[in-house]
Amino acid sequence: MRIRAAVSAALASAGILLVGWQSGAHVADTGSAAATTSATTSNGTSSGSAAGGGASSGSSGSSSSSGSSGSAGATAQAAGTYAGSLVQTRFGAVQVQITVKAGAITDVTALQLTDEDRKSVQISTRAAPLLRAEVIKAQSAQVQTIGGATVTSAAYLSSLQAALDAANL
Amino acid sequence: MQQTSKTLAAESPARSAPALKSRTFQCMGTVISLALPTATVGAADGGQVLEGAAAAVERVFAGLDAMFSLYRPDSEASRMARGEITLRDASAAFRARFEDATGWRLLTEGFFTPERPDGVLDLSGIIKGYAIDQAATALESVGVEDWCLNAGGDVLVSGSPAPGTGSPWLAGIVDPQDRGALLSGFPLGDAGRFAALATSGSAERGDHIWKAGVGRTEFRRSEFRQVSVAARDIVTADVLATAVVAGGRRMLDWATDSWDVEVLAVLGNGELIATSGFRA
Repeated sequence: MRIRAAVSAALASAGILLVGWQSGAHVADTGSAAATTSATTSNGTSSGSAAGGGASSGSSGSSSSSGSSGSAGATAQAAGTYAGSLVQTRFGAVQVQITVKAGAITDVTALQLTDEDRKSVQISTRAAPLLRAEVIKAQSAQVQTIGGATVTSAAYLSSLQAALDAANL
Repeated sequence: MQQTSKTLAAESPARSAPALKSRTFQCMGTVISLALPTATVGAADGGQVLEGAAAAVERVFAGLDAMFSLYRPDSEASRMARGEITLRDASAAFRARFEDATGWRLLTEGFFTPERPDGVLDLSGIIKGYAIDQAATALESVGVEDWCLNAGGDVLVSGSPAPGTGSPWLAGIVDPQDRGALLSGFPLGDAGRFAALATSGSAERGDHIWKAGVGRTEFRRSEFRQVSVAARDIVTADVLATAVVAGGRRMLDWATDSWDVEVLAVLGNGELIATSGFRA
């Protein structure tokens, strides 16, 4: 995946250079997304964007775009897919990608990223699988109360809560 | 409803945990326990604070049980179940709880419902949470600020177990596969973000939650064995825990998308699904 992404990014860069050389236009502002735009014809280039969105891109705060290498018909119109800067949130680093067609944003997607520990980063408040070893630990000697599915009066007698209550009489 | 605990001198060995005093009583088919920091209870007045607080909580529970219990032939709920009265004849308090319940049915896309499959109106799914909520008001009115109320495994707290320190109450969550062990812990109150923790499941009472279908409710096994929800208020926590057990993964996502809650769900095979608040 990384190799494919790197190759894709390299091809995209080569395509951009080629376009610039053919048209003789200067790419004056490499930090600007519009300046590095090339026309895209498909959405199959997100891996290239993901590679571009690594630490270097994030730290420089620049945006990059990717295009399929064969499409050299760059125009002034802002069309294509753009990857934004890495933004640190409470869930970890987040990077979004937008798709622009005819000057309008037609799609916004979150690129799947990994943090420095190579763990997948949760980018929403949704519940996710968690190992038992990963939840907040508690020993019954440390807690002040016990939560659980409703216990009947009979079941209470042998419950952890009953033991706690007895200790606090 | 009798007092099941009595006052004894504190004999428990010295623990690092804050010292608490508890009172328990039975109501709504379960046991309710109120714990206060020993510092609050105070030795001077001989535990009068605790006795008064426990009595206030018990009055709230007993009053609501008398009105809403389907196990009491003379309750308003039972008379309605027998068709002797209709909602039109019901008391304002009864209609208000019915309104709460139907509101939650809308908010949970029908996964929380106040109706049994046989069509009988059953508000018990919301009454315990409401009783805990009302008990909080009662405790406030008797001037107690630091307390922990546990009604059959659903927990609401205020303040801290060690008043003035800002340390939260730590609730343990039972492992449904081993009722003598804790699956997780969760801090509540004071420094904690949430004061309420409710847990629903099939571990104790069998599959007691009706699973809602399209246009009808039916009795079906849930994909979740136990679901715990932490929220700011106990009614939200209680209703959502019930709804997620009934509605499965879809309702779980809806709950975390729509409410500020933390959820820990135990699947049938014992595996866990949790929001980030439960991560150590």
